[in-house]
Amino acid sequence: MIFGSWVCLLAPLVGFLAILLAGTRITRRQAGILSTTSVFVGFAGALVAFFDAWGREPEERGELTTAWTWLKAGELEVGLELLIDPLSLVMMLVVTGIGGLIVLYSNGYMAGDDEERRYFAYMAFFVFSMLLLVMGGNLLLLLVGWGLVGLASYLLIGFHHERASAVAAAKKAFVINALGDALLALAFFLAIAKVGSLDFGVVFEAAESGELSDTVATLVALGLLGGAVAKSAQIPFHTWLPDAMEGPTPVSALIHAATMVTAGVYLICRTHPVFEAAPEVQHLAAILGLITLLVAGVVALVQWDIKRVIAYSTMSQIGYMFVGAGVGAYGFAMFHLVTHAFFKALLFLAAGLVIHHLSGEQDIRKMGGLRSSMRFTHLTFLVGTLALVGIPPLSGFWSKDAILASTLAEGGVLGWVLYVGGLVGALLTGLYSLRLYLLVFHGEPAAQAEAPHAEHAHHGEGPRSMTIPVAVLAVGSAVAGLLGIPGVWHPFEDWLHDVAEPLVEPSTRQEWLTSGLAVTLGVLGALLAWRAFKAGRELVPDGAVRTTLEHKLWFDELYDTVFSRPGQAIAVTLRDRFETPVVQGGLDEVAEGTLRGAAATSAAQSGLLRTYALAITISVAVLALVFLVVR
Amino acid sequence: MGNVVVWVIWLVAAAACLFTGVRVVIATSPFSSALSLIGNLASLATLYLLASGEFIAAAQILVYAGAVMVMFLFVIAYLGGRADAPWAGGTKLIQAASVVTASALMAVTLVAVMLDAGGRLSDESDVDRAFGSPAEMGRLFLTDHLLAFEITSIVLLVAAVGGVVLGMRSQAEALADAEEAAQP
Amino acid sequence: MMGPGIPWYLAISAMLFSIGVAGVLLRRSPLIVLLSLELMLNAANLAFVGFSRLFGEMDGQVFALSVMAVAAAEVCVGLGLIVAMARRNLALDVDAFTELRG
Repeated sequence: MIFGSWVCLLAPLVGFLAILLAGTRITRRQAGILSTTSVFVGFAGALVAFFDAWGREPEERGELTTAWTWLKAGELEVGLELLIDPLSLVMMLVVTGIGGLIVLYSNGYMAGDDEERRYFAYMAFFVFSMLLLVMGGNLLLLLVGWGLVGLASYLLIGFHHERASAVAAAKKAFVINALGDALLALAFFLAIAKVGSLDFGVVFEAAESGELSDTVATLVALGLLGGAVAKSAQIPFHTWLPDAMEGPTPVSALIHAATMVTAGVYLICRTHPVFEAAPEVQHLAAILGLITLLVAGVVALVQWDIKRVIAYSTMSQIGYMFVGAGVGAYGFAMFHLVTHAFFKALLFLAAGLVIHHLSGEQDIRKMGGLRSSMRFTHLTFLVGTLALVGIPPLSGFWSKDAILASTLAEGGVLGWVLYVGGLVGALLTGLYSLRLYLLVFHGEPAAQAEAPHAEHAHHGEGPRSMTIPVAVLAVGSAVAGLLGIPGVWHPFEDWLHDVAEPLVEPSTRQEWLTSGLAVTLGVLGALLAWRAFKAGRELVPDGAVRTTLEHKLWFDELYDTVFSRPGQAIAVTLRDRFETPVVQGGLDEVAEGTLRGAAATSAAQSGLLRTYALAITISVAVLALVFLVVR
Repeated sequence: MGNVVVWVIWLVAAAACLFTGVRVVIATSPFSSALSLIGNLASLATLYLLASGEFIAAAQILVYAGAVMVMFLFVIAYLGGRADAPWAGGTKLIQAASVVTASALMAVTLVAVMLDAGGRLSDESDVDRAFGSPAEMGRLFLTDHLLAFEITSIVLLVAAVGGVVLGMRSQAEALADAEEAAQP
Repeated sequence: MMGPGIPWYLAISAMLFSIGVAGVLLRRSPLIVLLSLELMLNAANLAFVGFSRLFGEMDGQVFALSVMAVAAAEVCVGLGLIVAMARRNLALDVDAFTELRG
């Protein structure tokens, strides 16, 4: 298991370094193959580790392996250690498996781009960073991985750096993530101060045994939540995710759907003892998840960019996961993470096929009627959409409803609010997903879409490197949910049971009841969308509501006014009042003073030998006098 | 009686020394200056003799007056009228300062000498006949001061080379000469 | 020792030296400057010989001889310079050479 894990972690790193060092000595195709292979080798390693762990008793499935002591400062000792347990194994499989498929897809999607090698290097780097995050055996390594995925995200969002919008989006993502990182770091500082270590075991023990005071536990949990919220694009740190769609579609699929944005959920599940020691914060996580779920759902109703709809959908679904983690249903939250990874990646990659087919068109108003010209894409997209809505027996059904059932089991005011909200969210999901599907694939083709890209005339909807991953993901979206059938078998939940014991266990009756309601609402939403589509009107009529939704509830404007403008004003003021006159001026004055001094001194060099000789003689006379006097 | 004679000779030589020294500095024509310097060297040689420096006196006449001054006179003859230049240089202030400085230097040194005149400076040692002789000089040069001896010879060699180099005709001059010779 | 004592020699030497200094600082023709320089060197020689007589050691005279040799070398080079200047029709004027300025 250890060996497999190390292979899993290091293979993408090796791939990244190889592409980096080879530079232009390898062709672009070779860079793509290298990157894909390295990720799949990582997947093989993860599989090996997984099967090894599967064969063991549940108690023995967790292992901590240390490479060397990385940091030693006084009493704090941090080792370069990996923690391989069921939770990390799940993430490893998801990251390398789905990551591998997406990198394979990229080979076809990014073909012809000038800077393919850079792209594939970044992809391998991202996979490595994400693996470091999930395999980190202590909080510090987790933070390292956390920061590195933020970096990878920045690099990949801004991949098309000649586009100003892409660069701006990358900066936005990075800044907001940095805010989350800072909160995370503050939590860690507090942990070091109070507990003296960043090892998982030590910190969790302290949290469980009540060693940490309530205030400390709350603060630490808040810091952790802050980081999770920023990374997972939950309200209030969510504004970066829609803009992040400036990156290439496979990047959106991998980073902003399947893996990086789910890191927040992983964090909460991993550090759940801390959250359990601060239940208010845990409930806060659920509430934030609920708010995000609803807000993202309604905003998705007015988006015209195909990728933005899917982005808001991602935000909404992660809201579900936060709800799950917030009530203590860690297993179900992770379950939804896995199924969501499948169908969201599928949706993005299928959207990528559409965009590729239409030579870069992303506005769904200019699409339509692609059902006949892109049959394969249509089918897979439909599978993804239905999985997202939660139609049985597709995967989304099983996982989403499990979370909802947990909120029902939680009970109390919080539980009921979450339950109702979650069901409304199911309705919204039906609405926006079907709206998207219908506008893209049904109806009359838009005028510009009549002539598909000439290149694709001969290889159908896309090269095999693109269609195979989509097919695999479609299959996964369909069947992955069968890992948790309430009342029948739930291997997934059992797998994670020892690592993250759920706080609530819904009964089978609650689960089937919830499922019934959720499916009904989802289908209702789908039907409403169908009707609106048939009538040729939008779901949200024009007016104040629509304008607000189109401006994403004015969040960007709010942050701009409250943070961005004052920040810039302060920077400009500091520059004008302090830096230019004092710092720059000080340096200027020093230089000028030196020049003036030099000019004054050089006046003594008249060039006349006579004066020089006179000066020497005078000095001799003075010296003689001095010697005479001092004697 | 002998003492008086020595004193008289000494005073005459000293007076001649100072007089010719001043003349070197004041004379308008370089020729006069050079001749005055020769006189100065001769009076100095006398003073050396009175101070038991026989070899030095002889070397002074041979080397200084005989070789160096002759060199000077050759150059002055070569330069002819070009050697004449305005008497003093520099601004009035610098001239005044120069005189003052020189006087100050003289005053300080004289004071220093006079302060010790009665003490250490009057404690002359007795010397034998070998003092100041060439044999003694040679012995010292070849034993105690061998390094100075060798280095001095190198310095002279360098100076000789330098003199030759400085005296060489430049390229331009050689070309001009060749042109002149080519023209009928 | 018969005749004046050593202080007298040193006095002559001091006066001769300052006369030479005045000459170097005042005169404009490089030739005269060189001659004044010789004056200074000779004054130093006189002091050397005087002290040598005072202490009864001949080291002073040895050094005086070295000074003479070096003075000869220096005059050789100095005169060579003057001749070179004259050959290139440069003014023989110490104040004319002011290129070493800051």
